[in-house]
Amino acid sequence: MWEIIRLNKRKSFLLFIAMGIILLLLGYFVGATFLGEDGGPFGVFIALIIWSVLSIISYFSGHKILLSISGAKEVTPDVHPQLFNVVEEMTIAANLPKMPKIYIINEEAPNAFATGRNPENSAVAVTAGMLAQMNRDELQGVIAHEISHIVNRDVLFMTFAGIMLGSIVIISEIFLKGMWFGGSSLNRYRDRSSGGGGGQIIIMVVSLILAILAPILAQLLYFAISRKREYLADANGARLTRYPEGLASALEKLSQNSYELRSANKATAGMYIVNPLKEKGRKLSDLTSTHPPISERIRILRNMAGAGFNDYQKAYAKVKNKNETVIPPSELKKETYIPILSEIEKATSHGKKEQQRKLGDIVMKTNGYSFLTCDCGLKLKAPADFNGKEVSCPRCGKRLKFE
Amino acid sequence: MLVLELEKVETDFCPNCKGIWLDKGELELFLEDSKDKDELIKSFSSAKGIREKKIKCPICNSKMDKIFVGKDHDIVLDECKYGHGLWFDKGEILEVIKLGSVNKNNKIIQLFQDMYKNEININTTEEK
Repeated sequence: MWEIIRLNKRKSFLLFIAMGIILLLLGYFVGATFLGEDGGPFGVFIALIIWSVLSIISYFSGHKILLSISGAKEVTPDVHPQLFNVVEEMTIAANLPKMPKIYIINEEAPNAFATGRNPENSAVAVTAGMLAQMNRDELQGVIAHEISHIVNRDVLFMTFAGIMLGSIVIISEIFLKGMWFGGSSLNRYRDRSSGGGGGQIIIMVVSLILAILAPILAQLLYFAISRKREYLADANGARLTRYPEGLASALEKLSQNSYELRSANKATAGMYIVNPLKEKGRKLSDLTSTHPPISERIRILRNMAGAGFNDYQKAYAKVKNKNETVIPPSELKKETYIPILSEIEKATSHGKKEQQRKLGDIVMKTNGYSFLTCDCGLKLKAPADFNGKEVSCPRCGKRLKFE
Repeated sequence: MLVLELEKVETDFCPNCKGIWLDKGELELFLEDSKDKDELIKSFSSAKGIREKKIKCPICNSKMDKIFVGKDHDIVLDECKYGHGLWFDKGEILEVIKLGSVNKNNKIIQLFQDMYKNEININTTEEK
């Protein structure tokens, strides 16, 4: 588990750093445009301040803000006992130190997300539509996926990455608007006082390009971080429930959903189990999507031969047709085979039913029932008062007589 | 009442009235995989005022309660007061399965339709 968290952290960290560099570059050039060449460091400073203020706020109350903008309400166990039961079960399976708080969002669109800065302070939110549409296995799959986000420390990371994206967007917007309205006059003034304008124009052009490209680039990076994490959470979710089909069929239902989640927006979209925003008229390309295509996630889950990481990795390679690692090799080696729950369950419950049926046969025989097997293969068992009567077989219609 | 067995699945069938009896929990088994299973089972509501002849539970022989199934009270079934199971009059079980918008490839549904192939055929030709 720790290896996964570490690898997850390392990869995401690189992407995170890349976003940071974009932020700083943007700050530098915007500063240089407005305040002359020595304005660069000051611009970097301002960019850092914007980012850190937003980060501090989000660290301490980000989950509350997110929950409140998505319209989630905390609920007590009696509102939906099954949901509590499932969350409790998955908390224990995932070995979380504390059960996450449970929130329900009053919307028809089925969706869910997890939030919180660490496993001790976490929350899961599900929509009412989710509770209405999912059966227990599916709900369990969804909750296991969300709990995995908490276990993998995805939540805090995504919040910070989201905030950084937000900062970049804010700075670019300020810059572009400033250029439009007052920036040019400011530059004219500075140009006159300093005498030469050649270098300044280059800087201005560079920052213009940066201001336009930075938000797009940062968004792509953000999406790349987000997608990787969805696969991992799926793998871990399947492992926790030992029943990949639960999550797979939940995802299938989610993909067929026709409602849009009204309380979601671009910044919060990455948090949900499936993308809550419906694209009108245009198909999302893989590059700009916060989530991997659902059909692919379902296919991977359904291709799993067991419920472990090894099985997920194999299914992933098979479906994607390339040898990319989603789960670190050391973790794969450590793991022993985890069978899918339904196999065990079916074996035991089927055996039980078989026993009961045999027992039933004995009881019937001792009570004078007569047994008859029709030519079509249907077995009929009739009590003593049917003796001598004729019935037609409900399967093939043949007349049968009990002796 | 006849007990029918096909591929290790048992159901109870009355050859006189063509009704089917499902023991407690068997309906859930049939509706497994069905999208609206939970909703359907939740939609069971008491239908006390309804005028339909009361019938007796084949297990405990006490009179059964009438219940509505479906949001629009589409079907009336008989349920044992003591939770022994559900009674479906002729053809009712197919209507219930239709309500549950069951996956037609579900093994149990297929088996069930196979088991009562002749009965179902008679039913559908009568309807036509």
